[in-house]
Amino acid sequence: MELAVQFRREGAMPLIGIGVVAGLFAAMFGIGGGVVIVPLLLLVTQLTPRRAAATSLATLILTSLIGVVRYSGTGHINWQAAALIGAPAVIGVLIGIRLQKRISAEWLVLGFGLFLLLIGLRLIVGV
Amino acid sequence: MTLELASLAIAASAGIAAGVLSGLFGVGGGIVFVPVLVLLFSFGQLDAQATSLAAIIPVAVIGAWRQSGEELVNWRAAALMGFGAAVGVLGGAEIATRLPDATLSRIFGVVVVLVAGEMLISATRRLRAQRRPEPDLSGASDDPRRP
Repeated sequence: MELAVQFRREGAMPLIGIGVVAGLFAAMFGIGGGVVIVPLLLLVTQLTPRRAAATSLATLILTSLIGVVRYSGTGHINWQAAALIGAPAVIGVLIGIRLQKRISAEWLVLGFGLFLLLIGLRLIVGV
Repeated sequence: MTLELASLAIAASAGIAAGVLSGLFGVGGGIVFVPVLVLLFSFGQLDAQATSLAAIIPVAVIGAWRQSGEELVNWRAAALMGFGAAVGVLGGAEIATRLPDATLSRIFGVVVVLVAGEMLISATRRLRAQRRPEPDLSGASDDPRRP
């Protein structure tokens, strides 16, 4: 099976290394680490883009969970707000997965990249 | 940190947008959650980050569950990365809790700009490559890219 081949091919150490970097990003910046995981997986493993994205999501369960455990009790987590943006995001992820099968996402990436560029600059300038 | 009713619509649309991005590219949505919480809801940077992590959990669980139905998830790789992540999280949290919020926010801004730059460059490159008769790398096809 194709999966079995992949299981043998990927060394454990590079994957653990990607995890360390993703965890660092998760805790330092509040992002799950997917923006780090997906490109690095494509770089060091034989996973296809769709498999890398799917595997990244599975990894994010662990990075975000560990992050929440670390920050719980510090008073930094607003559970109400988390539910408020997390719940619609669950609907969004189902839409995104359907889209992934159908569309070529380049134009979407381009638009989103521009949007993020503006947000990033705004954050650098200061709140 | 009370949330006004008028902000519910913004939170909902930002949430959906973040989710779509997650499903498409395998990111958790935090890159959207954090700026939305900071810029629109006046959260402190560390509060926004910790809250974002909590919001990512259901997205990652549902997303991975849907994708695992199609056997796209490499669970061994995910477990190994998760193992490494535990180390990274503990280190990152030590740094994040020590930095002033404004500094953390600016560093995050730099990360967002870098991610945006990477997205813009890779999307442009792929759009150009589409003119050639190669299998696209957008994720629409699941054929192995390399022999």
